[in-house]
Amino acid sequence: MGNDDLIINNPLRALGLEDKAGEGVRSMGLVMARAGLGKTAILVQFALDCILQGNNVLHVSIGESVEKTRAWYDDILSLLTEGERIEMIPGIMKNRMIMTFKESSFSKAVLEERFDDLVQQEIFKPECLIIDGYDFENNDPKSLEELRNFMNDRGLKVIWFSAVSHRSDGRVSEDGVPAPCHDVASLFETVLLIKPEGNEMKLAILRCDSSVVDPKATLILDPSTMLVKKS
Amino acid sequence: MSKDLSRVRNIGISAHIDSGKTTLTERILFYTDKIHAIHEVRGKDGVGAKMDSMELEKERGITIQSAATYCTWKDIDINIIDTPGHVDFTVEVERALRVLDGAVLVLCSVGGVQSQSITVNRQMTRYNVPRIAFINKCDRIGANPAKVTDQLRDKLGLNAHMMQLPIGLESDLAGVVDLVTMKAIYYEGENGENIREDEIPAEMLAEAQEKREAMLEEISMFSEELMEALLEEGDIDVQLINDAVRKGTLALEFTPVFMGSAYKNKGVQALLDAVEQYLPCPTDVENMALDLKNDEKEFVVSNDPEDPLIMLAFKLEDGRYGQLTYVRTYQGEVVKGGTVYNNRTGKKVKIGRLCRMHSDEMQEIDSCGSGDIVALFGIDCASGDTFSASDISCSMTSMHIPEPVISLAVIPVDNKAQINMSKALNRFTKEDPTFRTYVDHETGETIVSGMGELHLEVYVERMKREYDALVEVGAPQVAYRETISQRAEFNYIHKKQTGGSGQFGRVAGYMEPLEEGEYEFVDKIVGGAIPREFIGACDKGFKKSLEKGSLCGAAITGIRCVIDDGAFHAVDSSDVAFQLASVGAFREGYLKAKPVIMEPIMKVAVEGPSEFQGSVMGSINQRRGMIIGTSEEGMYTVIEAEVPLSEMFGYSTTLRSLTQGKAEFTMEFATFKPVPKSVGEDLVKAYQNEKKNS
Repeated sequence: MGNDDLIINNPLRALGLEDKAGEGVRSMGLVMARAGLGKTAILVQFALDCILQGNNVLHVSIGESVEKTRAWYDDILSLLTEGERIEMIPGIMKNRMIMTFKESSFSKAVLEERFDDLVQQEIFKPECLIIDGYDFENNDPKSLEELRNFMNDRGLKVIWFSAVSHRSDGRVSEDGVPAPCHDVASLFETVLLIKPEGNEMKLAILRCDSSVVDPKATLILDPSTMLVKKS
Repeated sequence: MSKDLSRVRNIGISAHIDSGKTTLTERILFYTDKIHAIHEVRGKDGVGAKMDSMELEKERGITIQSAATYCTWKDIDINIIDTPGHVDFTVEVERALRVLDGAVLVLCSVGGVQSQSITVNRQMTRYNVPRIAFINKCDRIGANPAKVTDQLRDKLGLNAHMMQLPIGLESDLAGVVDLVTMKAIYYEGENGENIREDEIPAEMLAEAQEKREAMLEEISMFSEELMEALLEEGDIDVQLINDAVRKGTLALEFTPVFMGSAYKNKGVQALLDAVEQYLPCPTDVENMALDLKNDEKEFVVSNDPEDPLIMLAFKLEDGRYGQLTYVRTYQGEVVKGGTVYNNRTGKKVKIGRLCRMHSDEMQEIDSCGSGDIVALFGIDCASGDTFSASDISCSMTSMHIPEPVISLAVIPVDNKAQINMSKALNRFTKEDPTFRTYVDHETGETIVSGMGELHLEVYVERMKREYDALVEVGAPQVAYRETISQRAEFNYIHKKQTGGSGQFGRVAGYMEPLEEGEYEFVDKIVGGAIPREFIGACDKGFKKSLEKGSLCGAAITGIRCVIDDGAFHAVDSSDVAFQLASVGAFREGYLKAKPVIMEPIMKVAVEGPSEFQGSVMGSINQRRGMIIGTSEEGMYTVIEAEVPLSEMFGYSTTLRSLTQGKAEFTMEFATFKPVPKSVGEDLVKAYQNEKKNS
């Protein structure tokens, strides 16, 4: 069974991504939430969407193991494909690479070095980059700018980040992006915030690059499956 | 003989190769007065460690077979299974874990959590084995038990907490600080047998208090009393702490971490105390059996010595005393001279002699109660058989046995070697379910198959040493499989009329891929198109066809054959006619069902300095490998990949030269996957050439 035959019941269609991650579009996105609300689940859904459109995804996980990150993909893919066994879908694994770092050993320089190694040795050429667990509190906004340049230099179509917001920190940017990303919000085309409201988890669209997210879409996160769906 | 089961511990000691678990077992036997002198694994005294009883194990300094031993520590009976560290022998680890109630996970304080530790830990989780960790080799240069504890949390996902702090490290290792009693413990005397308790060194006090608080906070989750005591901020009773740690450990939610150096005789006694305090006794663990009289319904064994006997044979050994069968009793009592019932064969078996094993020495006993691990003599059975009293019919849950992935031809050099080789193979296949043997009918060669190059190498070596069977071996071959990728129909008539009685049979139906399992035969014949008495012959014909596929001569698996029509002749139809008709029908359907060749894919983990990451990944890429991910921790990186076994021959040499010998790798079987088209074509061509030439 190949990707083409895959009957994808992909709720990310709600984000209007079908034609968007095409050539030439460069964008940086950010998913924010308090700890444990499902940021990784959303990033994995974005990654899978990129993969299913034929792109290579490098998933950089900071402070998490390869096995756990892989398990996220297996779980979400199994939900999206209604229980189809992942090993039957050869394209998915081939187009994804996971790279994990300890918090202390991650830096922009190391990432660049590893990335270039992969490309120069023709091992893997990523088109989308997922960075889960980037430390926005202790990293200089300048290094984020540099990552943006890096994306342009290396021809990456999209980079998605995740960031933890804290209830105790009330600082927000003009468009409502909470700390610790309020200062760097302008660097991102898209910012999504997971907000628990009653029994529901709303996915608020704080900033929107219309080429990536349909601004009129109202999204929620199904708390039992962690899948994005239209409300 | 009934005994207090709360005073019994069945434990395993498992870990990464070379983390020193055999040395640790040796020290345990010494401190429990089982042996009276210490011999090193690769010792100069030429005696070797007690548990490595096979000559080959002594020579290579690795443990190949797990030997069971028994010892007593502070009136607790401890049965220990020393398990092998190399991944090729993991069926031994798995079998041991199946029958044990708890385990000690041994780690090297320098190497930390390595890929094999991850495999072992996964197996322990599969069998719900509560575990404690022992960080060994704290006397080595670069020892860092705190880092290893962090790795236990990060890499293995265990809620691991240090129960001790080392006093000095590397060559200065003097003892440990016990964070429960808040005492310093020093191991003195020639063999560390004199334990001296003292006050904690002043410079360590603050750190000890901080670590103790963190540990107490964590374990207070398992005990409300402890939580209250912590809130009251008074002195905390040691028993209260021990109870909470035990509760967390048994629930697999907490892993206490101990440390020391078995080689330098430090920390072993405290580990034995921990085995007593924190690991489960047989009644703490719920073991399930399947009721064969009641549709294999699961039930919990009682552990009660008064109940009818249930015991599991988990290991066979053909030693100098005849065949030894290691058994674990789950309920009831085994008595010398008594009769038990083998649930697989349905035969009654008389228990001749009953022994406790201490590596390769033994102590005869008259009976053994529930929860014990003992050895029986002269019982004819296979590994995994369940014995019970004759009034119950049950089976312990089946064990997970992986399929062999590699094979090689063994050719005896002369007639004597031929006879000895068959004796040896007969014994090895009985002992080890992952080691298989068969004769290739076309070449007449004896083929052995197993879980890896080293696995087979060891058995070939044992044939020579133990049975004097000199054999030549062929190049290792990957155990390919063939399977079908779509449904196809068949309708075949076998007709032969060459004088004498004729042969006639028609078999029609279809074959389709089977997702789980190797082969299934479904009879959907209605109205007697094929008479009942020939249905078995059809099944037999299909089974025969599975032995060798037409693409590359590999066994066919994952197929369901369904017959729904046919025809017979009142005179000419026979068993043979229908068997041949089925073989023909299979051949007809098989090629239409788009057969594919499958190859074993190995899960490979390469661990080495980060600077070599690029070249290691390149080498995996060249070998048709798929890199799953990399994890970087400071100077070291682990690369996880899935690589076809056929590409892994000689990889250790490549890796050595790529990384100046600084990286190591382990691999284990992951799955079977279809081979790429070009490789498949080569295999088909090679098979056809081979057929042409033979």
